[in-house]
Amino acid sequence: MITGKVVFGLFIGLASGFAVGAGFVAFVTVLGVIPRLTQLTKTMQFIHYYEAAIIAGVVIGTWLGLQEVKLFWTKWLLVPIGLADGIFNGMLAAALTEVLNVFPILAKRMGIQEKVIYLMMALVLGKIIGSLFQWIYYVDL
Amino acid sequence: MDLIYLRMRNRVHVQKNQQVRLKDVAKFIGDDEQVKKIEEEVLLTVTHEDKNIIIIDLVQVIEAIQAIDQSIEIQTFGPSQTIIEVIYEKQKVSFLAFTAVWLLLFLGAGMTIMNFHVDVSMGEVHQKLFTLITGREDRKPLLIQIPYSFGLGIGMILFFNHFFKKRFNEEPSPLEVEMFNYQQDLDQYVIMNENKESNRHLDNR
Repeated sequence: MITGKVVFGLFIGLASGFAVGAGFVAFVTVLGVIPRLTQLTKTMQFIHYYEAAIIAGVVIGTWLGLQEVKLFWTKWLLVPIGLADGIFNGMLAAALTEVLNVFPILAKRMGIQEKVIYLMMALVLGKIIGSLFQWIYYVDL
Repeated sequence: MDLIYLRMRNRVHVQKNQQVRLKDVAKFIGDDEQVKKIEEEVLLTVTHEDKNIIIIDLVQVIEAIQAIDQSIEIQTFGPSQTIIEVIYEKQKVSFLAFTAVWLLLFLGAGMTIMNFHVDVSMGEVHQKLFTLITGREDRKPLLIQIPYSFGLGIGMILFFNHFFKKRFNEEPSPLEVEMFNYQQDLDQYVIMNENKESNRHLDNR
């Protein structure tokens, strides 16, 4: 009886992990962040290692997130982690904006093809300032 | 029998009341004298009724050439139609409209990122990460959150390969490719729909 329950539990855990993992990979693939990074750094040949990095990050992140581990390392380690976290999220956000195809239509409608960069900077500054506002001020309200 | 090669141009900008000659819509190669005669032939004059897009199909050009000399043999390559865009006056960008859109995007981007953070409980994750690394608790782990916020911007700039006018390498950015694709789609549409040669309605005469 007990082993039956355990096996069933393991099965459910594995199945939900499959679904979430597949969803994550599909999301990252559709947005094309990894190809973009390899293109910027001209490191196409290492793409398999980047895959491994994503998988390792997901597995380790999942495990640590579900445990109550405390590492007692220096708090300054948080600065590079936060920065990397932000860059990755920023790339996801940019890719999402691009997939949605808003800019070409907006620029065409307004006849400002050459000034799209300025509209893009509006998004970038909006994200930075919105995020800073939230963490520094808004959470205290 | 003379052989003439012709290649239609992709896109031509003209002004109102301007005469469009064959040399404006296509490039001709062949016997010098003959090419000169063909090139100077006036194909049409832009009138107000033309609105802002005229499509010249390859067959119209061939027709015009045959009207000059029946015996010319024509070899074509390249696109099979030219898009003539009539520029009425230099489009003026309204500074007010631009500012309005800029502010809309700025505030909208700021609000959506805040909504996103609340939606995925980003704050809690940051608090937990702080505890994980340092072993202490902090309700406002700004040490993660401030670099994170700037990272957001850096990531977006990296993705688009642009920092105002500065670009990181020669390749077109995804945004430019996207603009190009959109223009191609628009062109494809007008080629099919504004081209007198490609649509014929025989149903309700």
